[in-house]
Amino acid sequence: MIQMQRLMLRYPTGKTALSGLTLDISQGQFVYLIGESGAGKSSLLRMFYGGIRPTSGTLRVQQTDMRSAGEAKVRELRRRTGIIFQDHRLLFSRTVFENVALPLRVQGWKTERLIPRVRKVLAYVGLADRLWSYPEALSGGEQQRVAIARAMTANPAVILADEPTGNLDIDTAGRVLDYLMKLNRQGTTVIMATHDLHLLESHPGRVVQLHNGSLAGSGM
Amino acid sequence: MNTRIEIIPDKLNPRLPGGFHLPPFGIHQVLALMIVCIALWAIGAIWLGMQAASQWVGSWQQDIHIHVYLDSADKDQAVKLKQKLETIPQITTVRKISAEEAARWMQDWLRDAGMNQKELAERLPVTFELSLLDEQEEFLFSDIRDIASRFGARVNEDEVNLAQAHHWISQARYLVWFASLILALAMALIISNTLRMTLLARADEIHLMRLMGAQEWFVRMPFILEGMILGAGAGFIAWLLLWPVVLGSRDWFATMQVDLSNWVLLLPLLIGGSLVGTFGAVIATARVVSSESAT
Repeated sequence: MIQMQRLMLRYPTGKTALSGLTLDISQGQFVYLIGESGAGKSSLLRMFYGGIRPTSGTLRVQQTDMRSAGEAKVRELRRRTGIIFQDHRLLFSRTVFENVALPLRVQGWKTERLIPRVRKVLAYVGLADRLWSYPEALSGGEQQRVAIARAMTANPAVILADEPTGNLDIDTAGRVLDYLMKLNRQGTTVIMATHDLHLLESHPGRVVQLHNGSLAGSGM
Repeated sequence: MNTRIEIIPDKLNPRLPGGFHLPPFGIHQVLALMIVCIALWAIGAIWLGMQAASQWVGSWQQDIHIHVYLDSADKDQAVKLKQKLETIPQITTVRKISAEEAARWMQDWLRDAGMNQKELAERLPVTFELSLLDEQEEFLFSDIRDIASRFGARVNEDEVNLAQAHHWISQARYLVWFASLILALAMALIISNTLRMTLLARADEIHLMRLMGAQEWFVRMPFILEGMILGAGAGFIAWLLLWPVVLGSRDWFATMQVDLSNWVLLLPLLIGGSLVGTFGAVIATARVVSSESAT
């Protein structure tokens, strides 16, 4: 699924965000990226969807070489990738339905086909009755569930989650993790950057630890 | 859970972003529509004025003659002057108007002046009526003046000015085109600015669409469409608002044999407005940069 060889990322400011990362992530794994703030977790996740390009080394994501991939290839990769952000980045001027339908709309799905699919994923995250609500009417946990629904709606091969539980209490965070684990059991690779180490005990997975942009430890 | 899904009705046309779906119409768009409409109305009014001027000139220009007056009673002089005038290639005929005809015309014109026709005929100069082949010929009037002055004759300068009116109208037409282009550019910038505000307000949405793998045309198309519709809408409203001008001035223009047509402006205003709107939208969307674009 993802292969890295001596991966390095240096920002134009000169700061080295990642250096010498060599790591493989297989399909169907649930991977926690942990490490202190500034360790490079978010930068690594951003490289997985082409938000930033590696400075040197090799990074292959779903058979796409991220150093040389053109615009069309990156676009294609993003269509097969679900992204969840810490601040969930929901569109507050649009309904839950419109938010969740966005990835499908981008892929050219017709409205008639869209509605049943969006209903299904919202039912999966327990928000079937909030289809036409606006995100601001939802609690923080519900908003994050909408973000999960949006990430999974196009049935992606991999879900990248950047501290999705960062703003949630322990119980709500646990429930969000339950959904991600359930998705993972259905074959979706989940890579999640987190600070909440207590989640690792209740929801075990492979742990990749970063420190100062380098690999500090990696379970299998 | 399924029972709960059943009770929520589907919206028939959910408002989805991107592609051929227009962004919502807000106060900025209404303001832009009004400003562009006013500018297009001004352009339409100027072109209506040009239409009126062309018709007015055209109504008498087909039948224009230049008169040359010779005060001398010397018949030989008059014959020579006539022969000389006939040598100018752009003059088709030179007709000597008899003193009686001139006097009759003059008396008819002055009507109740109570003048004696015979006395009037004796006082009038020898008059030549020149029919012109092409009044646009550059040196035609200079040649006529030159020949007339050699024989001590005078050219009716008012008629020369009227004959040259087409030249001023064509000069004015250039100015109107130039003014239209400047106004079109201003309108494009107004629409561009409005769309730029919409784009800024929707920056998150655009960024998200790009993160989800949206193609550039898909991201930009709603804004291009909005610009096009804004321009076309403003053009149509401007056209409607020209009707009061056309209808209100109809009687006055009729006295000058001018019949204004507002219908000929419909397509130019619609097409011109939508082109200007599209151009403004292209400018606005040319540099819509997201921090994590696919490039």
